[in-house]
Amino acid sequence: MWATNLKILGVTIGTIALYTLVANVIPQIESEVPEELTFTGEVSAAELVSAGEELYAGAGGCTACHGLGERAPNLLTGEGDQGPIGARCGTRVEGEDCKTYLHRSMVEPGAFVVPGYQPIMPDVSRTLSANQIWAMVGYLESQGGQVDVTAADLEAEEASAEDPATGSGAALAATTDPQELLNQMQCLACHRLGSQGQEVGPPFDGIGGRRDAAYIRGSILDPAADVSTGYEQFAGVMPTNFGERLSAAQLEAIVDFLAGQQ
Amino acid sequence: MSGRAGRLAALAAVAALGGLAFGGAAWAQEAAGGAAAGAREYGQFPGIGSRAAIWIAAEVHLMFAAFVLGVPMFAMVAEAIGIFGGDERYDRLAREFTRLLLIAYSATAIWGAVLLFFLTTLYPRFWSHLASIFEVSMWIYVGLFFLESFTLYLYYYGWDRMKAGAAKYGHWGLAILLNVWGTAVMFIADSWLSYMMSPPAAVTTDTAPGMVQLWSAINNATWMPINIHRVIANVVFGGAVVAAYAAYRFLAARSEEEREHYDWMGYVGNLIAIGALIVLPFAGYYLGREIYEYNEQMGITMMGGFMSWLWIIQAFLIGVLFLAGNYYLWVGMQRIPGAERFLPYTKWMLLVLVIGVIVWATPHTMIADRAELEAMGGSHHPFLGVLGVMSAKNTAVNLMILTTFLSFLLYRRANKRPVASWARAGTLIQAALFVIAAAIVLFYGVYGYFVTAIVRIGFSVYQVLAVLFTIVGVTAIDVFMLRGAESRGAVRWGKMPERSQYALFVLAVTFTWLMGLMGFARSGIRQHWHVWEVMRDTSPWAATPALGYAATMISVCVLIFLGLISFIFWLGGLVEKPQLVPKKA
Repeated sequence: MWATNLKILGVTIGTIALYTLVANVIPQIESEVPEELTFTGEVSAAELVSAGEELYAGAGGCTACHGLGERAPNLLTGEGDQGPIGARCGTRVEGEDCKTYLHRSMVEPGAFVVPGYQPIMPDVSRTLSANQIWAMVGYLESQGGQVDVTAADLEAEEASAEDPATGSGAALAATTDPQELLNQMQCLACHRLGSQGQEVGPPFDGIGGRRDAAYIRGSILDPAADVSTGYEQFAGVMPTNFGERLSAAQLEAIVDFLAGQQ
Repeated sequence: MSGRAGRLAALAAVAALGGLAFGGAAWAQEAAGGAAAGAREYGQFPGIGSRAAIWIAAEVHLMFAAFVLGVPMFAMVAEAIGIFGGDERYDRLAREFTRLLLIAYSATAIWGAVLLFFLTTLYPRFWSHLASIFEVSMWIYVGLFFLESFTLYLYYYGWDRMKAGAAKYGHWGLAILLNVWGTAVMFIADSWLSYMMSPPAAVTTDTAPGMVQLWSAINNATWMPINIHRVIANVVFGGAVVAAYAAYRFLAARSEEEREHYDWMGYVGNLIAIGALIVLPFAGYYLGREIYEYNEQMGITMMGGFMSWLWIIQAFLIGVLFLAGNYYLWVGMQRIPGAERFLPYTKWMLLVLVIGVIVWATPHTMIADRAELEAMGGSHHPFLGVLGVMSAKNTAVNLMILTTFLSFLLYRRANKRPVASWARAGTLIQAALFVIAAAIVLFYGVYGYFVTAIVRIGFSVYQVLAVLFTIVGVTAIDVFMLRGAESRGAVRWGKMPERSQYALFVLAVTFTWLMGLMGFARSGIRQHWHVWEVMRDTSPWAATPALGYAATMISVCVLIFLGLISFIFWLGGLVEKPQLVPKKA
């Protein structure tokens, strides 16, 4: 019986050893904890880039999608016939410089969804601090472009964090110009209007012919109430706080404008 | 089991429960002390560190818990077959399952107490958070644990007294009740761990734990998918461990009668394990989908982030399970008169399985740095990128499931000659179902390369439905077709080559290791969060380790579990020999 026991032990230990060995010979990747960054007023571009690179390749989790060619645009290598992100970021969105574009792409990922990709990017500010995000902006700028993130950006961020009047949940500026409101609310990030915007949600072109004003008003206030056919996969993407951010006059201005898009 | 051994087991379980209660008191003191001092967030375990200590305690407890929750399910089924089918062997089998259960139960409680002690002393801040939200469910848990324990004792010790007439149905009712309590206990524990993964969206880092609604914390996004996945996985695991136990007893048997009994028991254990394994991927798919729905980033981290290689290891392990399970069946066919007519087909089934494993284990989406991307000439390897996509992998795994089901079918029909007038037509319909299912799987597998990802994901549903329909349809035809079938000769239980029994050991070890690996995947996707995006892990062990370290930890846990359960089974063998029942004529 001892021989049998030894054979059983051998099979058991051998099987466990094989699995342990296989798991040890494959590439070893640890998920690091994002290191808290504290920059002084004289932070250099090199410091930012170095910290950003570490975050990008590690705790930021960016490489889970960027660089694989199908989930999200390549950033370190070219995307299509364009160069790396630092070379193309300044021309991606009209009126947005590279730094602003990159920063907003991380903290308002629904704002600029690149055509051909789905809006799966998470809001990075939920897991990284303001300094860490700016460090990543600096690193991405360095990929084919100029790093222009400065201590002033970090300070402005701190001031912004303390000012409740700014940020994505804040009330909108006191205007009733519907087109300006559409821009402020970033509606065109997902809805097409003429040559602007993308089609993550139903296009605004001709919406007045398809829906009445009451329906449009309801969809702004409660986007989940009735998801348009063909866009079910993007249900939940549209913010639900426009009722709090828009005044009654602003809401009606937008509703009238969209209902007039025949 | 003798009365003395039973009392010892009962005493150990009660002592462990006492430990739980003491652990709770210790935690209360700890929490109060921590609040007073306002400082201590983590304890320090000597030598291996707190994370490793809690890892071992949680994993070994989970392995025992899976065993003691899985076994009652098929003890209940086996007893029912004994009652309603009139086959006394199954009643004896259920009793032997329960005997193993009784001994393993106290070990489960002891490891539960160890886990609780470690949580309260090594992670007091986290435990305080969890207890603040779930305290009521923790009290209910303890109550259910008492009910489960004493139902188990009544079930086992009342076997002889309740063996006939209406009392037997009452006894079977106890088996049902035992499963109800056990499942409820597991559901409660699942709510705690699934809350850590997917807390309600309204809970943030600023939310006071006392303000979180208990039901919203319990009924979180991944709770029910994990419940379902675990119920099935427990059956798989319990079946595999029982089969390994039977294999050991087969190899140690001193009489032909013992050899026959344990050969049959090993077959039943393996049948349960592989049968439940076939449906487990569907539950896993549901869980994965809910994780993506809850948080896309978490889903991507799981499948394509730093954990991407984990799925290659998983594919390798499942490949071993399929190969070992089928090998056991093929070898087993040698003891069935008439099975020789099917043996030539086994080499082709082996070919399908090997190709399937190769495709399934092909890496695709991997984290690569710039140099690696340039070296590959793109984001994917030009050759492996084709086989590594989900179209190919889904096709491979569905064909492997079909092949394994075919093995079972051939095994089942080996010594039977159907007498039904429509037997030939029935067999042709069965063959057609297999061919159609394989064609559907292949068609959508190939078509998947020509459509977008969102469309491709939907194709996996058609592939799964085709396979499930075939399994159900073919089984139904088989049951009716083989009614009253002539026998080509009785199965020669006990006439099994010894090498086949080692396949059962490989299955049990692999299932156990796989459970540890999947536990790491589920827990590891939280990364440096105790509770995802609610409570950060600020301990020195917050980083989620790479697979090599994780594999070493898993192996340590598996060795501890297998060592302890072998010892427990050996102890059980000392005090009582199973009562064998002559094989059915």
